[in-house]
Amino acid sequence: MSETGRVVGRSLPRLDAPGKVTGRAVYAADFALPGMLHGRVFRSSQPHARLLRLDTTRAAAIPGVRAIVSATDVPDVRYGAAVKDEPVFAPDVVRYIGQPVAAVAAVTLQAADAAVAAIEAVYEPLPPVLDVASALAPGAPLVHEAWRSYTAIPILQRDGNVCNRARIVVGDVERGWAEADHVFEHRFTTAMVHQGYTEPRAAVAAWDSSGQVTVWSNTQLPFDVQATLADILAIAPSRIRVIVPGIGGGFGGKLRIGVEHFAALLARKSGRPVKVMTTSEEELTAAYPRQGTVIELKTGVTRDGRLTARQGRIYFDTGAFAGSGPGVASVATMVLAGPYRVANLHLEGYAVYTNKTNCGSYRAPSGPQSNFAVESQMDIIADALGIDPLELRLRNIVHEGDEGPTGQVLNAVGLEECLRRAADAIGWADRRPRPGRGKGLAIGWWTTTGGSSGVYVKINPDGTVALNTGAVEIGTAALTGAAQVLAEALGVDLADITVVSADTFSTPFDFGAQGSRTAFAVGNACRAAAAELSRKLLAQAAAQLGCPEQELALRDKHVVGRGGRVSLADLARQSQQAGGGMIAHGTFIAPGTAYDTKRVEGHVYPAFHSPSFHAHAVDLSVDEETGEVTIHRYVVAQDVGFALNPTYIEGQIEGGVAQGLGQTLSEEIVYRDGRVLNANLTDYKMPTTLDVPRIESILVEHPGRVGPFGAKGVGEPPNVEPPAAVANAIAAAAGLRITSLPITAEKIVRAAQTGGR
Amino acid sequence: MARLAIALEINRERHDVLVEPDRTLLDVLRSDLGLTGTKTNCLDAECGVCTVLIDGQAVNACLYLAMAAQGRAITTIEGLAPAGEGLAAGEGPAPALHPLQQAFIDHGAVQCGYCIPGMILSAKAYLDEQPRPTEAQVREALAGNLCRCTGYQKIVDAVLDAADRMAAGRSAA
Repeated sequence: MSETGRVVGRSLPRLDAPGKVTGRAVYAADFALPGMLHGRVFRSSQPHARLLRLDTTRAAAIPGVRAIVSATDVPDVRYGAAVKDEPVFAPDVVRYIGQPVAAVAAVTLQAADAAVAAIEAVYEPLPPVLDVASALAPGAPLVHEAWRSYTAIPILQRDGNVCNRARIVVGDVERGWAEADHVFEHRFTTAMVHQGYTEPRAAVAAWDSSGQVTVWSNTQLPFDVQATLADILAIAPSRIRVIVPGIGGGFGGKLRIGVEHFAALLARKSGRPVKVMTTSEEELTAAYPRQGTVIELKTGVTRDGRLTARQGRIYFDTGAFAGSGPGVASVATMVLAGPYRVANLHLEGYAVYTNKTNCGSYRAPSGPQSNFAVESQMDIIADALGIDPLELRLRNIVHEGDEGPTGQVLNAVGLEECLRRAADAIGWADRRPRPGRGKGLAIGWWTTTGGSSGVYVKINPDGTVALNTGAVEIGTAALTGAAQVLAEALGVDLADITVVSADTFSTPFDFGAQGSRTAFAVGNACRAAAAELSRKLLAQAAAQLGCPEQELALRDKHVVGRGGRVSLADLARQSQQAGGGMIAHGTFIAPGTAYDTKRVEGHVYPAFHSPSFHAHAVDLSVDEETGEVTIHRYVVAQDVGFALNPTYIEGQIEGGVAQGLGQTLSEEIVYRDGRVLNANLTDYKMPTTLDVPRIESILVEHPGRVGPFGAKGVGEPPNVEPPAAVANAIAAAAGLRITSLPITAEKIVRAAQTGGR
Repeated sequence: MARLAIALEINRERHDVLVEPDRTLLDVLRSDLGLTGTKTNCLDAECGVCTVLIDGQAVNACLYLAMAAQGRAITTIEGLAPAGEGLAAGEGPAPALHPLQQAFIDHGAVQCGYCIPGMILSAKAYLDEQPRPTEAQVREALAGNLCRCTGYQKIVDAVLDAADRMAAGRSAA
């Protein structure tokens, strides 16, 4: 570990822990107001159909029903992060089973449910598009006939059912094939999976007499929800206040507007506060899950194991609306390149419309799918060439000063150290200790999303510190990490800091809980605020201590000089009397990462800012009779730049791997004919205490140039490599190469019976 | 549906409530009594966030009728701390913590925290039955409580450590 500070670098308990272990912490799902109504959503029963008639007469007559809203009650707006293609309620055509058609508010949930059951819709079926292949087939029905009319990010490459084609082209793959001794081509598939947060999406909305609406929501992006609501409600953002009281997990699933608009519309129409909260069935049929994919990967390699060219295409089944698809398809191309030196690249990510739920972002969007293909193929190549998979990786990985796929210059590259340490820890030399047992490796890289952060920091009259931030504490302890940075810079204890967060009315802007950025960006904004406060505190103290500011320093809750010291409490009190209080506004925006614009097309994420590098190693056994996989050990070596709080970084690694193992071995939202077959937590199988092994974390520290104390984003990366690491270990253990996620017991048994594939 | 007057003993205190016969204990705790430390999610006894103790046994309050809880001792997360240190909602000094709660903090076992009340109560019920469990036994005991943030490791470590602390507390007493 590198130099550890007084506060940073230490495993201090998170600030919000006492409230969470005593049940005092209030989450959006817990939030209630007097006189509050309960809202429910009436959803499409058809994957693709014309909505001929909607009759809410019977529903409105049910006792206790106070408001019903449908397309006729809202402005004709479409919203979406990349393509504005989604209406609040289906106006004339429904595009997936579960699409909102109307919403009801009633005095009890039972009455709201009864009203939803009493709504009648008459549909005329249209031909549905149920997977990527049929969406791309010549003459396929269009999910959106009017796709050309939608507003979209201008650089997107859209065409019919393709809502973006992102591309990276480097060098000339034809030359790369010619230089290669062998060319490998494989196809991989991955399933749609859900983030699995334990708190349903929930929102309470209330309008006041001045026409302002307040929404208490468990969104990850309160400022994005505010902006989207402004469009939907056709009022100014300043009239919309979004507050996040607390959030029970999100993992990307609570980025975009979820139920806030339903609550706000129903509250406006009924004149009462309204709460809307999703059911498990709604979560698994009509949320923002991770896209299923089809991946075609072709790689050229010399006989001594040097990669000469790679061509990759990844198709995202992004559902009925673009959602996060266009961006996710872009990020995927970065991951398909791998953390490898490859001179010739032709990589494409397609976001494809189908008549399924609108897919979104899930922890390291596109990462696990793309990495599964890349790292599975690396092992296939190694085996074919008779080169050890560790050695093949060592011959091709990126190093300090190398270029990334789009030409960005890589620095603070801790990859080789991660790879060697993970391999050592798992006992790589004995890769196949006995039949049925084997070890697998996978490596990867990931970005630390920039985006701006602002904080207000105030010294209280008792010398404690208030940190006011627009960021959301999603559970990672990122705001505890940011507070550690602040405490370090101000010379106070972590326990002296109180955090107020996520209120669009009173807290400064923050880009939100996404992209592994919160501790990184808010921490840097805290450093800026602390620098400003330090200037003010030192100037004020200098007069009293009779010595120049440059001879003073912040230490142990005082401004200290040779001639004496003044407490922060005294300085804050004086400032309250004479200067309006000791307060500073700190801001941060990550500097742009230079890249070669000529290499990309349709690409909304063309560089990985402050990238992290990581290696996963797993030791497992496979029972070919039952298909059961038993994981003995799982090791993660992750370059975190600087470990602000080692305990909670381990927590990110352990949790990210656990989620990854679910996606690898058991989780899948199963569709048949456009309908989800397993929309409950009995049949959607998330890992329990009995399924997740102990996970050993090795925190590697190659400090980055931008993050606080060199910290890099840590939340998403551990979710990237589990599918490939496990697939490679299964291949080592049993000689079975499974190229489709999830790797269920059934697939293993079938592969064993058919001799390996 | 006709409402019935029932008395529930929750966290050592009597609560008189009027409930429909089909109301679940979870709904009454959260909606009628404001005890939102007991969480809601799947309503199908699959996720465990609604776990409470009834006569010391961990149950899923989402499928347990409020009527059926009459005459039984109900413990929610709000009442887990030692008697006399009850946690009124809102302002107040830092509450005394049960050894399980303290261990969860010390081990970094809390992330989003939404599963934690149920997790702690499942652990409490099990440790009362088996005060010196193995790791495998703790994992078995918590298998009905889903957590999506932690990967369970620090939770299991916290429970094992709490068992030691509770044993030390007993031998000191």
